[in-house]
Amino acid sequence: MSREETVFVVDDDQAMRSSLQWLIESMGMRVETYDSAQAFLDAYYPGRAGCLLLDVRMPGMSGLELQAYLAKREHRIPVIIITGHGDVSMAVKAMKNGAVDFIEKPFDDEALIVSIRNALQHDEKQRALRAQRADIAARMAELTPREHEVMTMVTDGRSNKEIATALGVSAKTVEVHRARVMDKMRADSLAELVRMVMIAGAEVQ
Amino acid sequence: MKPAVYRVLRHLPMPLIAILIGLVAGLAVWGVLDHVQSRAVERIFNKELTARLDLRSRESLLRFDQYMNNYAATARLLANHRRLAQYLEPLFWFPEEDVEPVVYEQFRPFWLPDFFERNALLAPSHVLLMDTRGQVREIYQAGRKALAPELLADAATWVGEGDDVRTVLARAGDAPYLVVSDRVEDAGGYGMGHLVVVVPIDTAFLEASEGSVSADSSAVALVDSDEQRILATNEPQELIPGTLLEQWGDEFVVTSQSLPEYEGSNWNMLFATFIPHSSVEKMTERVVEFERNQRLIAALVFIAVFTLVIYLVSARLNRVLTRMTRFSQRALEIEQPNFKRGGNQLLLLEDWIQHFTNLVLKAREEMNRRHAHEMRETEALKAAIMEASLDAIVSLDRAGLIIDYNPMAEAMLGLTPVNALNGDFARRFLDPAEHAAFLGMLSESGRRQHGHRRPHARGELWAKRADGSRFPVEMSIVPIDIDDERVYTLYIHDATQRKAAEREIKSLARFASESPNPILRVNAEGLIVYANAASRPLTLAWGSGPGQLLPLAWIEEVHAVLDDGLNHECEDDQGEQIYSLLFVPITDLGYVNIYARDITAVRRAEQESRQHQSELVHVCRLSTMGEVATGMAHELNQPLSAIVNYAKGASRRLQSGILETAPLVEAMRQISAQAQRAGEIIRRLRALVGKQAPVRSVVDLNYMVREVCGFLEFETGKLELRIELDLAEGEIPVSVDLVQIEQVLLNLVRNALDALEDKPVKDRHLAIFTLARGTEAIVGVADNGPGIPEERMAHLFDPFYTTKETGMGMGLAISQTIIDDHGGEIRAESEPGRGTVFHVHLPLAAEALAAAPAPEQVPDVEGAEAEPTVAEAGR
Repeated sequence: MSREETVFVVDDDQAMRSSLQWLIESMGMRVETYDSAQAFLDAYYPGRAGCLLLDVRMPGMSGLELQAYLAKREHRIPVIIITGHGDVSMAVKAMKNGAVDFIEKPFDDEALIVSIRNALQHDEKQRALRAQRADIAARMAELTPREHEVMTMVTDGRSNKEIATALGVSAKTVEVHRARVMDKMRADSLAELVRMVMIAGAEVQ
Repeated sequence: MKPAVYRVLRHLPMPLIAILIGLVAGLAVWGVLDHVQSRAVERIFNKELTARLDLRSRESLLRFDQYMNNYAATARLLANHRRLAQYLEPLFWFPEEDVEPVVYEQFRPFWLPDFFERNALLAPSHVLLMDTRGQVREIYQAGRKALAPELLADAATWVGEGDDVRTVLARAGDAPYLVVSDRVEDAGGYGMGHLVVVVPIDTAFLEASEGSVSADSSAVALVDSDEQRILATNEPQELIPGTLLEQWGDEFVVTSQSLPEYEGSNWNMLFATFIPHSSVEKMTERVVEFERNQRLIAALVFIAVFTLVIYLVSARLNRVLTRMTRFSQRALEIEQPNFKRGGNQLLLLEDWIQHFTNLVLKAREEMNRRHAHEMRETEALKAAIMEASLDAIVSLDRAGLIIDYNPMAEAMLGLTPVNALNGDFARRFLDPAEHAAFLGMLSESGRRQHGHRRPHARGELWAKRADGSRFPVEMSIVPIDIDDERVYTLYIHDATQRKAAEREIKSLARFASESPNPILRVNAEGLIVYANAASRPLTLAWGSGPGQLLPLAWIEEVHAVLDDGLNHECEDDQGEQIYSLLFVPITDLGYVNIYARDITAVRRAEQESRQHQSELVHVCRLSTMGEVATGMAHELNQPLSAIVNYAKGASRRLQSGILETAPLVEAMRQISAQAQRAGEIIRRLRALVGKQAPVRSVVDLNYMVREVCGFLEFETGKLELRIELDLAEGEIPVSVDLVQIEQVLLNLVRNALDALEDKPVKDRHLAIFTLARGTEAIVGVADNGPGIPEERMAHLFDPFYTTKETGMGMGLAISQTIIDDHGGEIRAESEPGRGTVFHVHLPLAAEALAAAPAPEQVPDVEGAEAEPTVAEAGR
């Protein structure tokens, strides 16, 4: 858990904001508070590590609206919804829209910590995956079209001979292409290459 | 010019014109013919005349000749007579020179028998005997006159050589003579010489020669051809001998002929025939006149026939015209022209035909125009009927193909005209099972000729829409024959609704009998004519039944209701059962319907409800509290969560050994502040909850309004709305149960807030006003929400009446109960679309009235400070 990770708290109630900051800081995490969704959007920029604690009931842009707004812009910050008593239906809606968790006021501190930690971990994992994919994509960009073709066929599990027949070249040539692909992709083994291709093709959760 | 002639001609009757034309034509023909024919006749006549004259002159000549021949014959007889021969027998004439002839003067010698007389001849003037040498020996002289010496001298020249008798015309001076000579022999056959007979050709001779034949005025004459001089004539009075022939050319037609047989004469003679001109002309005239008469008769006959024919034709024409006029007058309904008057029917006919043609043209034009107009109107009407008809109208040709199709048909059958036209109607729009019935109707529609209406057929069939759905229709088929082409018009009425309505009416008819409530019908005498099954307990209780009389009291009611014609409702309390009876008069039929209702249960329930009312008030208050509590719970959650967060944060810090005092102290302060905030909320809540004994205390109405506004801060905040307060100055003291009145106000304001929920934020207005007037304190709650529909106003304060999904419908009912308990009044005023105002009137507290008999905020002038109306509140 690096120091850059921040817990963003958005709540219109002053007492709630400061008490949450007090509680979360006591767990050793960085906290930034905002009194409205708009204030948060003004300060936030995509790619910041952390998670978002969001009160559903707020004047102006509500918690759900903010969540929808972020999702639309593919800002993949994990969202934890804070609800009051009796707002369960709203919480369910938030979960359906992709919130990682919801907690009910008044909170149990342990539950809050677990929830925040989970969110931050999820965020980190997603970020790592995105970084890795970007890396693989960069390597793939170096491949020539023919090499890309060979790579696709190799990872589909076809033998050199089959590839040579399909492309109308000699097995020797395929061998050369293949070695170059392995080199460019910096893959030590065929298994690693297959994993890279799968990561590049997989959807980020 | 033409009109003048024309006008004259018009007034002449046809027969007259016929006669005139006949006359003129006849005259003209006659004039020409007369001229031509006269000439022709004259020419022919002249020719004929010439021929006849010629013939006549020949005849005259022949007679003359004959006459002379008679002399020759007689002379021969004389010369050969026996007596002369006997006389000469003894004689012998010596040839001597100068011989003196013997003259027998005025006596007849022996040798001369009287043969001339016997032969009807004029006696000769002289008869001579001449010897062979030509010497006259003997002379018979009839009269005193001696033979002319020239004749005697020339006697020898007249004698012929042979035996034949010779006839010669001689002349002595101007007197002509006939000289006939013949040989004379004596009895011994010795030639003695010649016998010469001399006859003077004078008037008598000529007359005798012509005999009785010359009865006409013609005359004959002997003419000297050299001199052209008349020598002798039978008409000496007219034709004077000695005159020249040419002298008479003017008076007579002269034909002269030579006498060639008598050659040997000493002169040239001509025999002339004179026919007087006058006689010729008279004959000519007679002939011409005869001819003319003939022609005249012919012309008259011609004119008569011509006139008669024209007259008959014109009369016939006139009759025909008169009839035509009558017919046409009748046909065209016109008065002109009148054919009774006289005049020229042909011209009148022309006039009339012109007039008639004009009239016919005009009439035809008018008819065309009318026809066109009617056609247009008919077309427009037909189009309008087709367009506007509530029935579908479809026209079929003989083969059953659709040729016309109105909009209703399109709507009913669900197929556009483009797709429907030329389609087989039966196949497309009828249930297959109905085809036979439909064909039957088609043939039946054409057959029904008898009866006074147009032939048509009606029936009910099942039709089929384009989408295949079936529905019942009533169909009327009317065949129309246009130019030998039969077209069927189908009027189709969708019977779905009628069928449904029939079922509906049938089911409605069962209403009364099925009704669980008693329904009775009573006539004016109070006799029950109908009672449904449910009315049995009621009639039993009355000791009555169908066909029996009502109890006396109700009979009076029946009469009263029938008299004033108004419904009347009353109750019949029979101890165990209570009935509500509604008397409905049907005055025109003389019946009264009685609708009874067993209201026993209702009355019992009402009693019970009155008993439970105070409890209900509490229950409802609690339920209202529940709604308030939800809001309160959220509010409580905030400070409580904050307190928990602060406490947990503090304990974590303490556990992890962070012992900075200042933040901890601040956290503690926050905890106590949030705890206080929660306490405040709970305190407010407490004020609303709990059943308290109805206690009266003098409270300021304005205070209560403000307090209620405080309770609703959360909810008004949620609607982003500020309650506009228009409170009277100072205090308005009322003696009330504070909690109950606050409950009422709370209710009213919450209702108002609910009403504003659907309005745009900036448009939401909620106003509360208070004022004191007379002995009343008034508080009003006004909103500019959608208002309350009129039909709901009546039930507004009924228990369990609600328009909200979650409401119980008790709020306003309880409010009314509370206000009634306080001796006040609550009412609502609403204008749909503009808003609602609730007014609560409460009596002012007695102490306040005593202390301030004339409160300054009570302008007791009517209308000086009226209660704000809906419109003002909705501003």
